[in-house]
Amino acid sequence: MAVLTVNDLCKTFGAGTARSNRVLDHISFDVRGQTFVSIVGPSGCGKSTLLNIISGVETHTSGAISVTSDDGRPARLGYVFQDPRLLPWRTVRKNMMYVQDKDDEVTRGRVDRYLDMVGLGKHGDFWPGQLSGGMQQRVGIARAFAVEPDLLIMDEPFSHLDAITARGLRAQLQDIWAQSKKTVVFVTHDVVEAVELSDRIIVLQPGGRIYEDITIDLPRPRRQSDPAVATLQAEVLARLEKMKAMTPQVAASV
Amino acid sequence: MSNPVVEASPAAPAVTWQEGEALARKASARTRRKRLALLTAGWAAMFLIWQLAAYYLPFGVLPAPLEVGEVMWDIVVSGAFAENFFASVGKTFLGFVVATAVGAPIGYLMGRYDYWKAFFHDGVTVAGTIPALTYAVLSLIIFGISDLGPILSVALVSVPFVAINVAEGVRGVDQSLVRMSQAFGRSSRQIRREVFVPTLVPYVFAAIRMSFAVAWKVEALTEVFGGKNGVGFQIRSEYQLFNIDGVLAWMCLFIIFMLIVERLVLRKLENRVLAWRPEERVGK
Ligand SMILES: Nc1ncnc2c1ncn2[C@@H]1O[C@H](COP(=O)(O)OP(=O)(O)OP(=O)(O)O)[C@@H](O)[C@H]1O
Ligand SMILES: [Mg+2]
Repeated sequence: MAVLTVNDLCKTFGAGTARSNRVLDHISFDVRGQTFVSIVGPSGCGKSTLLNIISGVETHTSGAISVTSDDGRPARLGYVFQDPRLLPWRTVRKNMMYVQDKDDEVTRGRVDRYLDMVGLGKHGDFWPGQLSGGMQQRVGIARAFAVEPDLLIMDEPFSHLDAITARGLRAQLQDIWAQSKKTVVFVTHDVVEAVELSDRIIVLQPGGRIYEDITIDLPRPRRQSDPAVATLQAEVLARLEKMKAMTPQVAASV
Repeated sequence: MSNPVVEASPAAPAVTWQEGEALARKASARTRRKRLALLTAGWAAMFLIWQLAAYYLPFGVLPAPLEVGEVMWDIVVSGAFAENFFASVGKTFLGFVVATAVGAPIGYLMGRYDYWKAFFHDGVTVAGTIPALTYAVLSLIIFGISDLGPILSVALVSVPFVAINVAEGVRGVDQSLVRMSQAFGRSSRQIRREVFVPTLVPYVFAAIRMSFAVAWKVEALTEVFGGKNGVGFQIRSEYQLFNIDGVLAWMCLFIIFMLIVERLVLRKLENRVLAWRPEERVGK
């Protein structure tokens, strides 16, 4: 598990130039322990940028951010990107091993187990170029799970998969999360998915401010058929509709 | 670009996919046969012209193809060819090793940093346009009669190719893969080995293929004037004995075998190393 603290974070791309673009605007929140947080918001509101800053591959303009494991070690990170991001010149299994720190029996066993979990147990020796887009995305998911991270970051991991596969993986994600004590930060467009999975939903509005921070207090495991889930989903959707109404220029997505 | 919508005639008869495949196979066999016929015709025309020239030129100036063929056969059977050929190929490849050792870091700097690009750019471009003959002469002046001359000339010819291609490759590195690696806490050494180097390999192959076409000729040329062994050296020896069929025989053998190296060995090696590229697997 990890402790993630984001304090007054701002990000401006191309600061000081004519194309200066403020993407994140005074964002503050913190997440600790075994919490599942979803970040939702319209396309282009800075969700991926926020994840990149959290994972340290993007710099921020001002504010502070810290990620530690809850016993004070540097946190181990797993990142599922919006696209698969596999090394095309390594086989599926080698791609998984690339992000592991050790190369021993235990690690190899774990890698194979997670490949099995995403339904690609037989594809370990394939080149990424031989897999379909959705299969590659599943390798990306298995890769992040297999590092057994303290903080798992996922950027719309299921949005390119068919409904059945996505539902299966969502259930797996819940199981893993329940068993393995992780902090998860999960970006999605899909409010239904967010309510099903999260303890908390942070809604970003265009321009990169936090519009709302909703706590989802429902018992687990959650079922789609449970009326309480459906009611809450409708309620969250209604609140997002309200946000759209306030910012008519982006009435498109979410 | 042909437009399939326009091309498909509305009255086209329905074909099963087996029939379709058979048709496609037949069509590709037809183009293959046509190409083979033209290739053979080209070679036949060349031999005919050679034969005619040998016949009409004064006696002793140009030996006929068959005479040269006999000498070629003798050279191969005596083992002299294998020995000298490997000497020449060995020097060519050593030259490549030197060229890669020098050109790859230059290319890396050029691809990575704009100010190093400014520093090297004109030099590399000029070096790439200097005629290969100049490098051969330069190597002779520096090393005289020695094995090092041919190696140096190959290296000099190839360095610009390597540098330019590696620079291109470095610019082609997928930054999203670098970020992925960083997000998973990979060290910069791991990123270099797993992301940068594999990206560069196809570009280095391209460089070797391009420079090989020039390099083996320069290598032989340098041997003609300053070699102690190798095919070029044999050509000069035969020349000094006024042995025209010997000169031609060595030349033909060298051309044939270098084409084989270029077309078969290099390409095979490339296909193997780059097996991960989806388009390389098509048709295997
Ligand atoms: N490297 C970059 N340089 C300049 N601008 C960028 C860069 N990366 C992102 N942006 C800008 O930042 C804004 C937010 O991008 P981001 O990718 O974070 O959006 P997002 O919320 O993830 O959208 P989506 O849901 O479509 O993935 C966009 O306006 C984009 O143009
Ligand atoms: Mg995004």
